[in-house]
Amino acid sequence: MEEHPQTGSDKGQAPELSRRRFLGYFLGFSVVATAVGVLTPVIGYLWPPSKAAAGGSGRVEVGKTIDFPAGQGKVVPVNDKPVIVVNTAQGGLKAYSAICTHLGCIVGWDQPRQFILCPCHDGRFNPINGAVISGPPPAPLPELPVTVEGDAVYVTSGSA
Amino acid sequence: MKTMEAKPSMGRRAWNWLDLRYKLGPLFEALLHVEIPISARTFYLGGITLFFFMVQAITGILLAIYYQPTPEAAHKSILFIMNSVNFGWLIRSIHSWGANLMILFCVMHLLRVFFQAAYKAPREVTWVVGIVLLVATLGFGFTGYLLPWDQRAFWATTVGSEIAGAVPLVGPKLLIFLRSGTEVTARTLSRFFGMHVLVLPLSLVGALLVHIVMVHQQGLADPKRKMADPNEVALASAPASGSEPETKRKLLPFFPNYVLDEVIAWYVMLAVLIVLASLFPAGLEAPANPLLTPAHTKPEWYFLFLYQWLKLVPRIVGVALPILGGLLLVLLPFFDRNPYIAARRRPIAITIATITLIGVVAFTIWGWRS
Repeated sequence: MEEHPQTGSDKGQAPELSRRRFLGYFLGFSVVATAVGVLTPVIGYLWPPSKAAAGGSGRVEVGKTIDFPAGQGKVVPVNDKPVIVVNTAQGGLKAYSAICTHLGCIVGWDQPRQFILCPCHDGRFNPINGAVISGPPPAPLPELPVTVEGDAVYVTSGSA
Repeated sequence: MKTMEAKPSMGRRAWNWLDLRYKLGPLFEALLHVEIPISARTFYLGGITLFFFMVQAITGILLAIYYQPTPEAAHKSILFIMNSVNFGWLIRSIHSWGANLMILFCVMHLLRVFFQAAYKAPREVTWVVGIVLLVATLGFGFTGYLLPWDQRAFWATTVGSEIAGAVPLVGPKLLIFLRSGTEVTARTLSRFFGMHVLVLPLSLVGALLVHIVMVHQQGLADPKRKMADPNEVALASAPASGSEPETKRKLLPFFPNYVLDEVIAWYVMLAVLIVLASLFPAGLEAPANPLLTPAHTKPEWYFLFLYQWLKLVPRIVGVALPILGGLLLVLLPFFDRNPYIAARRRPIAITIATITLIGVVAFTIWGWRS
């Protein structure tokens, strides 16, 4: 764009050269404008729509109290995300995100040894507070609020 | 600020670097620096058809990213593309309009080649490959129509494959083959999807390359030549200068002259596509219901003449005659032995073609208004 006035006033150069350069810039501008015009919808289209990314949130009934006997745990879906609900003598009924903080595998309940185990790299978590016992996970499992009303067990997730 | 003149530009230096290693110069010389008869009038129809094919390839790949080819999910995934995906409505509407325009320009290209007698020797096989491309394009239209899995898609495919079932001898087998069973079901949908996104694109690209190489090897036909000549010197192989003994043909550089015009035509078509897609976006009817046929089931406009024709004559005649017509179209360069190029020197071919064309257009309008 800055070259625009130069073409008219520049008397030092042969006029053909200036016109050629002007047309060169004009062509370049057209090519770039076309590329931007075509690529904008294409890239916009490829970017996943925001609705699909969020899984939803809120309080979900995950079962009855008899489904979670003492000394046991199991993985249940809460708003499309896996959650592990454990019932221990010391900690009582607790729920944690079942997504391992190491590399995203789904943790499970190790019945004989009474802790939360990630099968991928032997990460172990304490069922009382979600803390790492051993293994590579860098952080404890995030805890989710559990409420019991009557005999129904609810887990609340995704308050964001 | 760049330093000018003294040093070659960045692009030029990159080109030189590559050219030194891969000898690109002669390749581009051979591909681009050919010449075409100055009297050639292509109206850019073939190139525009190619442009629409490229648009279909790009938008088709984009649609396949969100589309789900099962009866449970197909209709919902189309709704999702139209309502939730950014520019989804635009991409799908361009794909829909691009399909119609590709067929339209493919047919106009065929008519141009016919009326200019460009199919005559030595270009017989280019014509045959061109018909293969037309059939593949119609195949795209037929298979793509089912994919949204709405009422219109379902019943157009039911009726269309029923017609294929009336083909003499192989009909019943062909119907089972097309539907992957006796009814239009989930298996039909995945079969049509596979055809639409894998089989047909690969076939069409293969045939297209052959078609383009053939055109490149022989150069464009000159509509001003007197007679078809099987020994016509291929323009691409003829030296650019010193063609004295030739009939002093006036030539035009293919690049940049013709290519520039072609690109302008493509820009116009891109604008047409965007305007049509914006003003008349692709629609979607209720999800397919195999138990309820909607009141007026009609095929797309390019099959309307067949639809109307089939209403008037017994089914066996109605199907056999268009197949015969198609065969005659493929073999046209081999039985039309009249060597003359000028329209007035080939009255029979022009008359038959004109009557057929008027018939097809009339039946299309009739079918559309019925």
